[in-house]
Amino acid sequence: MAGRDGRESIGASSQGTRVRPGNRRVAQWARDYVRLPGIPDEYIGQDGAPRAVWTRFFEAFASLSPADIERRFGAADRHLREAGVTYRAPGETADRLWPLSHLPLLIDEADWQQLTAGIVQRAELLELVLNDLYGEGRLVAEGAIPAAAIAGSTEYLRSVCGVKPPGGRYLSIYAADVGRGPDGRWWVLGDRTQAPSGAGYALENRLVLSRAFTSLYKSMNVERVATFFEAFRDSLRASADRDEPRIGLLTPGTFSETYFEHATLARYLGFLLVEGDDLAVSGDRIHIRTVAGLKRLDVLLRRVDSNSLDPLELDASSQLGVPGLIDVIRKNGVVMANMPGSGVMEARALLGFLPSLSERFLGEDLKMPHIATWWCGQKAAREEVLARLDEFAIEGAYGRGVPGFGRGPILAAELSASERERLKTAISDRGIDYVGQELVRLSTTPVWDNGHITPRPFVLRVFAAATADGWTIMPGGFCRIADQPDARAVSMGDGARAADVWVVSDKAVSTATLLPGVDTVRIRRIAGVVPSRAADNLFWLGRYLERAEATLRLLRALGMQRDAGKGSPTVLPAMERVQRLLVIWGAASQTSRAHPSKVVAEALQSEEKFGSALSLVRSAQRTATSLRERLSPDAWQVITEMSERLAREVEDDDGVLIAAELTLQELASFAGLAQENMNRAAGWRFLEMGRRAERAINTARFARQFAYDEAVSEDLDILLTLVDCQITYRSRYLVGPLLAPVRDLVVLDPYNPRSVAFQVSALNDHIASLPTLKEGGLIERPQRLAVALQAMLTTTEAASLDTKTLFALEQDLLTLADAIGSHYFPHGPNASRPEKLTGLA
Amino acid sequence: MIYDIRHVTSYSYESPVSYSRCSLRLEPRSGDGQQLVSHTVEIRPRPADRTVRHDFFGTHTESIVIETSHRSLRIDSRSRVSVSRRVPARDAPSRPWEEVRDVAFESTSLGPESPIGYVFVSPLVPVQQPVTAYASLSFPKGAGILAGAVDLMHRIRTEFRYDPKATVISTPLEEVFEKRHGVCQDFAHVMIAGLRGLGLPAAYVSGYLRTIPPPGKPRLQGADATHAWVALWCGEGLGWIGFDPTNDILVENDHIVLAVGRDFSDVSPVDGIIVGSRKQKLAVAVDVLLVE
Repeated sequence: MAGRDGRESIGASSQGTRVRPGNRRVAQWARDYVRLPGIPDEYIGQDGAPRAVWTRFFEAFASLSPADIERRFGAADRHLREAGVTYRAPGETADRLWPLSHLPLLIDEADWQQLTAGIVQRAELLELVLNDLYGEGRLVAEGAIPAAAIAGSTEYLRSVCGVKPPGGRYLSIYAADVGRGPDGRWWVLGDRTQAPSGAGYALENRLVLSRAFTSLYKSMNVERVATFFEAFRDSLRASADRDEPRIGLLTPGTFSETYFEHATLARYLGFLLVEGDDLAVSGDRIHIRTVAGLKRLDVLLRRVDSNSLDPLELDASSQLGVPGLIDVIRKNGVVMANMPGSGVMEARALLGFLPSLSERFLGEDLKMPHIATWWCGQKAAREEVLARLDEFAIEGAYGRGVPGFGRGPILAAELSASERERLKTAISDRGIDYVGQELVRLSTTPVWDNGHITPRPFVLRVFAAATADGWTIMPGGFCRIADQPDARAVSMGDGARAADVWVVSDKAVSTATLLPGVDTVRIRRIAGVVPSRAADNLFWLGRYLERAEATLRLLRALGMQRDAGKGSPTVLPAMERVQRLLVIWGAASQTSRAHPSKVVAEALQSEEKFGSALSLVRSAQRTATSLRERLSPDAWQVITEMSERLAREVEDDDGVLIAAELTLQELASFAGLAQENMNRAAGWRFLEMGRRAERAINTARFARQFAYDEAVSEDLDILLTLVDCQITYRSRYLVGPLLAPVRDLVVLDPYNPRSVAFQVSALNDHIASLPTLKEGGLIERPQRLAVALQAMLTTTEAASLDTKTLFALEQDLLTLADAIGSHYFPHGPNASRPEKLTGLA
Repeated sequence: MIYDIRHVTSYSYESPVSYSRCSLRLEPRSGDGQQLVSHTVEIRPRPADRTVRHDFFGTHTESIVIETSHRSLRIDSRSRVSVSRRVPARDAPSRPWEEVRDVAFESTSLGPESPIGYVFVSPLVPVQQPVTAYASLSFPKGAGILAGAVDLMHRIRTEFRYDPKATVISTPLEEVFEKRHGVCQDFAHVMIAGLRGLGLPAAYVSGYLRTIPPPGKPRLQGADATHAWVALWCGEGLGWIGFDPTNDILVENDHIVLAVGRDFSDVSPVDGIIVGSRKQKLAVAVDVLLVE
C-alpha cells in the first residue's frame, strides 16, 4: 500500500524533466525497492516519497558507472581483508572478516539533532542515578526504584558501594542502541553503560567507506567522527590528577570477540593496550610492568567486565583482572572508565522507572522514548504480562539471557504448550527475573544487493563521551543490519552486517580537526613505555620470522641441489645434513628422508610439523595479533600474505621453490618495513633483538653443521649459500671455499651483516640502550653474557675455531637469548602470574 | 555462653613467595545474640601493610601485603565471644512462605540486612530448576516458612552424605546436588540454592562450632574446622534464623558467627594471591573452648 504509493510518486517526479542516465538508474532502484509492509523505512518516508538526503546520495552514487561501483566495493572489501579487520562470533575461535554493508546509513542533520538531545539527556540521567545508587541511596529508600530491580543485577557491585569514583564520574563513555519505531520516532532499545563496544569498528567502517568513495563522501557534507574521539581522549586525560597521564586500555586479550577493536582504539587514541597480567598494584596505585620496571598508570579505559576486574574482591576465578584493583579505586588511585558497577544501569528492569526519575532529577520528560517494558517484579505489571503473554517479548530483567529459557527474547506465541506453561509458572514464581517488552518492528534501510537495493532492519549504536562541557555525541555510530526481518536480536553473530553511519548536513562541514593550542602540548620524543608483555611478543615475533627465514633457506638449498645435482653423488652427504637439520628443527618427518622432494614440501607447508615455514609464520602471526596496535597496517599485511601463500597448495617441485622464494622476499620486506617505519622507542629494539638472537643461533648452528673440522668444499659451499655469503666470499677469495676463510666470514667477521659476530655486536648495542632495572651499578646478566661473547668473538682467530668451540658458541648464544627473556619479560617460564591461595572449607 | 576460639591457618609453599596479598575475615561479628569480647591476629612473616575496613556485609576485613620472600605464612587468630541467642522451636508457627517471599520482593533497602540481597543468584550459587524442584517438596502451598525450612534442612541432612574427600571448593553445585554428597559448605549452598529458587532470602554464614559438645549430646560434624550454615529471612517478625543442614539443627548457642554473605565467596576467612610458587599446602586448625 504505502510502498506502492511511494514507487508511483517517484516515477511521477522523474517524468517531464530531462532525465540523465544516472537519474534513470536512481528511479529504477527506487522502483525495485519494496518496503516491508507496515514498517517505516529510512529511504522512503511515511508519505511515500524518498527522503531528500537519500535522493542526494543516490543521485551522486548513480553518477558512478556500475563497473566503477563494483570496483570501489571491491576496494573496500580488500582494504578490510588486508587490514585484518575481524570480529569473532560468540563461541567461535576463528576470526571472521568484517561484513561491511557497502551503503552507509544516512541520517539528516535535523533528525540527528533530535536523537542527540535524547541521548545526552539519558546519559546525564543515568550518571545521576548511578551517583545515588552507589552513594546516598535515596532513590531506593524512597521507593523511586525497587531494591529488587537493582539487587538482581550481577553488575550491582557491593564492593564499591560508598566509594567515590576517582575522577568524579561513573560514566565516561555511554552508548545506546536505538531504532526507529513504527511512529517514525527514534526509540532506545537498550543502554550500554559497562564498556560499550563498537566505537572502534565505527571508526574503521568510516575509514574504509570514505576511502572507497572519496568524492561522494566529500560531496555529501558528512560530519566527521574524529572530533568525538579527540574530545573523549582529552576528557580522560583531564580526569587524571597529573599532567601527561598514562592511559591504558584494558583488554581481556586476543581471544576476546572484539580484540581487533581494542587494538584499533588503543592505537588511534594513543593509549597503551594492556592485559590484566601487565598491571600490578604497588602502594595505592596501579602500575604497568614495563621493560623499565613498574610505571604508574593513571587512567584505565576498560573492556573487561566489572566482575572480572579483581580476583581478590570479585570473581575469584578471573584471570583477566588485577588483584587489589578495587582497593586502589577505593583509595582514589586510578580513574576507571567506566567505573566498575556502572553496568547495573543496563538492567531492563530499570527501564520502566526512568521516566519518573527524569522528572525527579531533571524536571523534564524523557526526550526520547524507550521500548515499552513491564518488569514482572511488580504485581500490576506481572499480571498484565501474564494476561497478554503472546503480545510481549519476554526478556531477562538483568541481561544474562532469560533465566531458565536461554537466550532472549522469548516469544510465548512460538513456544510449545508445555514450555508456555513453564514460562507462565516461572514468571508467577520469580517475576523479579523477567520483563515483558512490547514487540516493535524497527525501520529498514537500503542495502546493496547485486545492483539492486533492498530494505533491511537495523539497530544503531550511538556513542556519547563525558567531557568538562557536558556530553558529546559521536556524529555517526555503529550500525548493524539484520539479514532477517526482525531486528531486535541483531548481533554480529547472526549473519548481520555492519554499516557506516553518515550524519548529513546541508552546509559544508568543518574538515579541520581540533588541534590543541601551541602552549598546551609539550614536545615529546619518547613514545611512552613498552609493557613487558609487548616486548616479549616483539622479541618472539622477531625470532619466529628469522627461524622461518632460516628454514626457507634450508629447504631452498635442498630443492635447488636436488635439481642441479642429478647424477652427481658427491653432494649427497651435505644434502643429508640439510635434511637432518630440517628434521631436528621439526620441519620435516624422519620418515620422509628418503624423498628429498617430500622433505622440501613438508618443510614449506606441513600443517602438522611445528617447525615448517607455514607453522612458524603462523606462530609469528599469532604473536603479531597481540601486537596489533604496535604494527603498521603494511607490516600486518605482509604477515597475512605470507601465511596465506604458505597455506595454498602447490602443484609441483617448482611451485614449492617459487613459494619459498616469494616468502623470502616478503620476509625481507617485513624487515625493511620494521627498519624504516617503526619508531625506535616503541619496542622496535625488541623485535630487532629477537631477530638478531635467532640469527646468531642459527648461523652458529649452520657453521657447526657445515664448517666442521672435516668439512669438504661442498659443505662449505652450502653454508655460504645458507648464510647468503657466496658473493662476498668470491669477491674476497679467488679460491674455492676453504675452511678457515669460510669460518672467519660466517662467524667472526664483524662487517658481515650475516655473521655471528655482527649479531652479537648488535645485541650488545641494544642491551646497552635499555634501562637497567636494578640499582647499584652492577652489570646485569644479559649484558654480562653479551659483552663476554663479543669479547671472545673479537679476539678469536679463525684458525683456532673447531667443531667443539662452535658448539660451545651455539650454547652460549642460547643462554643469552634465555637471559634476555627472563630479564625483561616476566612472562617466561618463571612467570610471576599471581596464584590464588587455596581457600578454606 | 563465653567461648575462646583459636583459628590457625598455615600455608607452606614449595618455592619462595616474593609477594602476597590477602584479605582476612577472621573477626567474629557482634549482634544477633552474639558479642565479641576480644580479638587478636598474629601474622608471620610480618606484613608490610595492614589495613582494616568493614566490607559491604559489615564484616571486619583486614587487607595485608607481604613483600618479603617467604616459604610459609601463618595466621593465628584468637577471639573471645559471648553467645546468647533465643531460637524458636522447630515446630513453632510461622507465616506462609509465599507471603514472606512477596514481602521480601517489595523490600525498599539494598543494605546488608535487607532480604532482597539474598534472593538472586550469587557467584557460587546458581538458581537451577532441579534444585528448586527438590526444595519445593518441603514447601507445599501455604506452608509456614519455618516448617518448610526445617523440613528441607532435615532432608538434606538425611539424603546427602557427609564426605570431606568428595568435594573441593571449586566443585560446582550441580555436581554436589547430583551426587548427593559434600561438606558443610556444599550443604549450605544447596539449601540456599533451593530456597532462592522459591524466591526466599537465604544467606551464607561462616563460623565455628563448639569443639566439645554439652554433656550427653553428640559431637557435632565440622567442629574441628571452620563451619558453614544458612540464615533464612522468615519475615518481619522472626527475622533471620540460622539453619545448620550439616547437623539438622537450628542455630542457637553452639554456633559462633564469623561472617555473613551471599555465598562462600563473600565470607572466605582467608583469601588472597601469591606470586612465586605454584604449589602450596594448607593446614587449618580450629579450637572452640567453652569458658563459662
